[in-house]
Amino acid sequence: MHPVNWLIVVGWIGYVVVHGVRRARGTKELEGYLLANRSLPWWAVGLSVMATQLSAVTMIGTTGQGATDGMRFIQFYFGLPLAMVILGVTLVPFLHRAKVYTAYEYLERRFDAKTRSLTAFLFLLSRGMSCGTIIAAPAVVFSAIFGWSMTTSVAIIGVPTVIYTMIGGVQAVTWVDVKQMMLIVGALVAIVVVLLVQLPVSPVDALRVAGAAGRLRVFDFTPSLDNTYTFWSGVIGGTFLMLSYFGTDQSQVQRYLSARSVDEARSSLLMSAYWKIPLQALVLLVGVLVFTFYLFTNPPLLFNPAHDRLVRERQPAAYAQLESRYHAELTARDLAARDLAAAPPDERPRAVRRFQQREASTSSIRTEALRLAESATGQPSRDVNYIIPRFVLDHLPIGLAGIFIAAILAAAMNAIAAELTSLATASVIDFYRRWVRADGPDEHFLKVTRVSLVIWGLFACVVATFAANLGSLIEVVNRFGSFFYGSILGVFLLAMIPRARGTGAFVGLIAGMAAVAAVNFGAPSVSFLWHNVVGAVTVVIVGVVLSGRRAHTA
Amino acid sequence: MTTQTEERTGFRRTLVRVLAMQIATLLLLGALQAYFTP
Repeated sequence: MHPVNWLIVVGWIGYVVVHGVRRARGTKELEGYLLANRSLPWWAVGLSVMATQLSAVTMIGTTGQGATDGMRFIQFYFGLPLAMVILGVTLVPFLHRAKVYTAYEYLERRFDAKTRSLTAFLFLLSRGMSCGTIIAAPAVVFSAIFGWSMTTSVAIIGVPTVIYTMIGGVQAVTWVDVKQMMLIVGALVAIVVVLLVQLPVSPVDALRVAGAAGRLRVFDFTPSLDNTYTFWSGVIGGTFLMLSYFGTDQSQVQRYLSARSVDEARSSLLMSAYWKIPLQALVLLVGVLVFTFYLFTNPPLLFNPAHDRLVRERQPAAYAQLESRYHAELTARDLAARDLAAAPPDERPRAVRRFQQREASTSSIRTEALRLAESATGQPSRDVNYIIPRFVLDHLPIGLAGIFIAAILAAAMNAIAAELTSLATASVIDFYRRWVRADGPDEHFLKVTRVSLVIWGLFACVVATFAANLGSLIEVVNRFGSFFYGSILGVFLLAMIPRARGTGAFVGLIAGMAAVAAVNFGAPSVSFLWHNVVGAVTVVIVGVVLSGRRAHTA
Repeated sequence: MTTQTEERTGFRRTLVRVLAMQIATLLLLGALQAYFTP
């Protein structure tokens, strides 16, 4: 990468750490450190909520998915606006007025200590592991592209984040999130403009070619439980997932608990209701335009440079043969795409068919190359996460490439910072202060929270380093997390039903997880989005039935 | 009581706005798909 780009990346990391540390003023008390004294304006909290959800996986994985699979991933977010409105009138006022530090603290007031502790424990378990994978995903890509060791990549992402989060607390995290979101959105808009300028065809023709390749297909109304991205799984399963994520996950709850008032907390969530889908469309559009760009500029056969090198060394003859076929196909596809772009309306159907044939042939050679890479390296060869970073480094102008790499780092740091503060908060408030030492000066709890945050940071870095070597661990952890989400949401829904009691909630929580496990192992093809519905509904039914019986016998 | 009524009215207004924005976004995405996908 050009030195100017490095200067931008290093400069941005330095700025973020200094800015975060400066924001540490006024964080001498626990409430200031964990909730910014409940003083933040809605727009800062709203941007922080969006930043927390936008991780490096969004910047490299979702854009890559846009390039290979098109826009249909956006259906995943169709339930989000409705979930935000529901939360605005249900959980947000409950939690904000309860003056709690964590969502789980409220469960003890409503039910009992065991329900609170089990829910908080499940949060720590799933989020603790996922925090490592949030660092691992971009670290693996940076290692392959820049040739860094995994430890170096993890340290570059993890260390600055731990520093500003540990010193500044939620105040620092929120204000850094605001700046990072500006950088991320600015970088995404800039890359779209540059792509449109660099394409040899007009924007409308570029979209026509992308549409012919199926990249602009958004809606899938198939009533299938197996397919993750359908309109129905997005609207129904997605609503439950978003209710659970934004309503019961401490990494999100902590954001809006720091708002000045209930109204400002609601407004901060509504920002996501209005802007999340358009933002996600922008992210996917970047991928679609990168796909279109590579129709007219030869892309590499393998986007992962480490795999490219290894396959060249270990299977030179087979790889050379594939490359020669690939280049011939690319030339033919380029011509077909240009023909389609220039075709008058009456000749379009024929031009579309010719282009689609060429696109299918090119894709099949890529699939062969990925299989060859898998056998030569012994590692999974799916290279969707490498498409955008390779494009950025190979084709973006000097300066903009640095800004985009800084934006990927920013996205990683935002998500990790929120996770670390929430993990430390739940550890101290729901376990240490609840079970070990109930009373003490704020300085003591502040010190314990900072130590806890550093320990979680180290844990996440260690998990990240090993997650990369274990390959499919990331997927396992994500699937593991989906076991809990729906069930935890079920407990909070139960809290709003007056007749529900503690034991009903506790047993319901266990029954919810058992039901999700049964669906997962009994019908593994059912998409994980539906697990959230199964978990939440089971908890509510079991909880109400058990509470009802108990109330009756009493 | 007044506060509750105000909250309910506020919620309905917000719900309408959010749904309107959601429908507009979906229509835009649908138009994009319908116009460019053969």
